[in-house]
Amino acid sequence: MTTKFDLNDDSLVVIIGSGAGGGTLANELAQKGIKSVVLEAGRRFKMDDIENDEWKMFGKISWLDKRYVEGPARLAKDFPNLPAWIVKGVGGATVHWAGVAMRFQEHEFKMKTLNGVIPGANVLDWPITLQELEPYYVKAEKKMGVCGTEATGMPFHGQSSHYKVVAEGAKRIGAKCEQATLAINTEVRDGRPPCQVNGFCMQGCKIGAKWSTMYTEIPKAEATGNVEVRPQSMVLRIEHDKTGKITGVLYADQDGNQQLQKARIVAVAGNSIESPRMLLNSASSMFPDGLANGSGQVGQNYMTHTTGGVYAEFEKPVHMYKSTVVPGIVHEWKDNDPSRGHMAGYELEILHLGLPFMSAFLKPGKGGWGRELADSLANYDNMAGFWICGEDMAVESNNITLHPTEKDQYGLPVPVVYKTDHINDTRMRNHAYDRSKELFDSIGAIKVNNLPPYPASHNMGTNRMSEHARDGVVNRWGQSHEISNLFVSDGSQFTSSGTENPTLTIVALAIRQADYIADQMKKQLL
Amino acid sequence: MNKNKSADSSTKPNLGRRRFLARSSAAAIGVGALGSTLLSPAAWAAKAVGDHASATLLRMARDVFPHDRLEDKYYAQVLSPLAESALADKELAALLKDGVATLDEQAQKVFSKAYLDVASEADRVTLLKAMQDTAFFQKIKGDLMMGIYNNQELWPRFGYGGSAWEKGGYVNRGYDKNDWIEEV
Repeated sequence: MTTKFDLNDDSLVVIIGSGAGGGTLANELAQKGIKSVVLEAGRRFKMDDIENDEWKMFGKISWLDKRYVEGPARLAKDFPNLPAWIVKGVGGATVHWAGVAMRFQEHEFKMKTLNGVIPGANVLDWPITLQELEPYYVKAEKKMGVCGTEATGMPFHGQSSHYKVVAEGAKRIGAKCEQATLAINTEVRDGRPPCQVNGFCMQGCKIGAKWSTMYTEIPKAEATGNVEVRPQSMVLRIEHDKTGKITGVLYADQDGNQQLQKARIVAVAGNSIESPRMLLNSASSMFPDGLANGSGQVGQNYMTHTTGGVYAEFEKPVHMYKSTVVPGIVHEWKDNDPSRGHMAGYELEILHLGLPFMSAFLKPGKGGWGRELADSLANYDNMAGFWICGEDMAVESNNITLHPTEKDQYGLPVPVVYKTDHINDTRMRNHAYDRSKELFDSIGAIKVNNLPPYPASHNMGTNRMSEHARDGVVNRWGQSHEISNLFVSDGSQFTSSGTENPTLTIVALAIRQADYIADQMKKQLL
Repeated sequence: MNKNKSADSSTKPNLGRRRFLARSSAAAIGVGALGSTLLSPAAWAAKAVGDHASATLLRMARDVFPHDRLEDKYYAQVLSPLAESALADKELAALLKDGVATLDEQAQKVFSKAYLDVASEADRVTLLKAMQDTAFFQKIKGDLMMGIYNNQELWPRFGYGGSAWEKGGYVNRGYDKNDWIEEV
């Protein structure tokens, strides 16, 4: 039986987005008996839709609506219309994520206190601490089934050839390397099978061993009868009354018809480009700069992690594709040690690409051709490498804005993403390139290729959490400073990016936010 | 060849140069044989652009993603559907014809001969490099990238496994197998 709610039912929570934030929030609320409608812009995929094929899945599940990348960074040249590599579908980016689930470190909640004012950056402390979030990290790890943690007791995946090669290099240069804590089953758990190492984590896990709201939180939420998911529902604007309280959400349904769903509370979880875009698109005479934007910070401080790739070639086979996509992490440099020449830390995440994607990312852009590239690709089976994932400094001018004239298929202004490096990012990336080369040279690499950043799967910061209303968009609960029944539930509420992959923290925050919303509803404060 | 300024460019320069020279001469020998076999008009159907353009495009394709051990048919498999579409698509036909004409013009200007007759790979690469930003070059490059590296038939030649779920993944098929790393 599928639950259907009336458009005029104004007792509902309306959640926009069904990924790590929205999907988790819907299920957490549903388990407490709180009813919600989930508006998801993408369609609902079935397990049969998932294939072990990089380009087919890219074409099938990616968010490919028109966007612009601007700024002097190379990404704007290489991928002028693809700032982010995320998903349009029920489950959102949790369909695509590699499953890496790491907690933030204590210092990452207070980067401003730690490093002081950094010129050219807009760094801020979180209004919460690691201690406050810890119980929710435990809940998130249990929910998602994160291997290698106390919370689950589930063992690691075992050392793949790709892991062994990098771990040996790390050992020789004295760098810490460990298997990755992945939200991918290594045992039957939560009705899902253990990983069989298909090596296509990022194309959607064909067997459902990897946690994704697509087949965990969403169906569990629906099974309670408290949730209605409406796929192919693109939000056009969020509406409010004279007092400034949110009253409902206007969206285009799967047939392109406009519908207005009334709401008691609205939670925005459309990822860090769409979430601020919705708030900006909802500007009104009362909120001329967009909803929740009294601080002017909506859409600002866009962070992606400081990234790049390093792939080394060897004389003997590594067959890196025979592995979970991220089998391990070199986390020697994850601390904040300015003596390295940069603030904040980074991880080297061992990560494989298949041959099709390697041909696109090894030397991206118009110049990606020629014998040197072809020779490296001919050596594909002898490659090992990683993706650099470092803390990205909040910079106010890295932002999401609305195109002044161009509209998308829904009639909404196309989002423009401006992103460029802070000098700290450049220094960090260069440090990571240098250490990577040492690591690979120590085990006899015949060639080490440095890859520039590719479209970001980690998108954060554009509706950031702050203690004071003047510095950010939402408070310690992800609740708008200005509009009490408007919440942000995705990575856009991150105050800093940390070095860790964002999903676990998004889920922990969503579980915590659900507790808060339930409590406030009970007290009749919402 | 255009040597990329990547981190390795300072390492083993002699090896790089030797490899490069060896390949250049191999390529030069290849060119000598082209007229009779490699680039015969029968190598791939190209009514839309004619024999000369067909031969030029095939040479260009092999210069863009050179894999000396890959047979012509794999490059032709990319070009044939393109030429086929050009029969019905005037814009595409013009893109290909004009692209080849420009390539030849540049070759005449710099080397006083058609692109096909420029013997050294390095010289041909110089010409291509100058056209890198054109829609023509990017179209050929993009189609080749998909046609070569996203070609399932070729994956085993590159040591890539492709779809694995239907075979039970690699959990029992050697995901942890590595017999050399500890002895490096």
